[in-house]
Amino acid sequence: MPSRTVVVGSASGLHARPAALFVSAAAAQPVRVTIRTGDGPAVPAGSILSVLALGAKRGTEVTLEADGEGAEAALDVLADLLVRDLDQEPASSTETAGTGA
Amino acid sequence: MAEPASTRPGAGLLDRDAIRLSERAATTDEAIRRCGETLVEVGAVTPAYVEAMLAREQTISTYVGEGVAIPHGTLTAKECVRRDALAVLRFPDGVDWNGNRVLVCVAIAARGDGHVEILSELAQILLDPERARALREATEPDEVLALLSPVRKESTA
Repeated sequence: MPSRTVVVGSASGLHARPAALFVSAAAAQPVRVTIRTGDGPAVPAGSILSVLALGAKRGTEVTLEADGEGAEAALDVLADLLVRDLDQEPASSTETAGTGA
Repeated sequence: MAEPASTRPGAGLLDRDAIRLSERAATTDEAIRRCGETLVEVGAVTPAYVEAMLAREQTISTYVGEGVAIPHGTLTAKECVRRDALAVLRFPDGVDWNGNRVLVCVAIAARGDGHVEILSELAQILLDPERARALREATEPDEVLALLSPVRKESTA
């Protein structure tokens, strides 16, 4: 299954605004995407509670997985969001990231 | 509960005084103000933090599902934070949160990322229907403290 393993780049970790932006982008993808930390269970990337439950901080390695048509493009978009520091970016540059690609 | 309190993720973050279980608010803004005022009252933040919480909510909703929202300030308001802390406010009549009904707010004051663990715990509670209901229906601060201070699982990170 196509996957991407990246390190969380947002200063405050994968919660609050970075998590909300990531989750809305994940939910907007045409394929179902999962996220996990280490060898933990893969959970839906489009669920804010599941993503918060990961407790991922800046520097935590996470793995995204998706299958089906558009999976590679979806993973590229979401992996790019994860590595960026979303805390430091204005809302306008990230708000459309989920649907733009 | 055999472990000392200091090893629990929520230890020290949530004062009993910061648990308010019979709040009332007509609007989201009013609920956020009550959350912010509570954090001010327990000495966790300066009053300016409340405005930052309102600003954050304008940017992106802090509703996380299961009738729970997690209001917090913008990252630029970090200097308004005296110490990392949480407040739990229950609104038994509910608050309209941009179309969602919020019964519990877990307000966050944080400078670093020390609260990520307790947010993770909170999310795990909310993913469990029984414990989510217990949090929404809590009438005693002890119930909230017990729910949000689970025995620490060794992190595999």
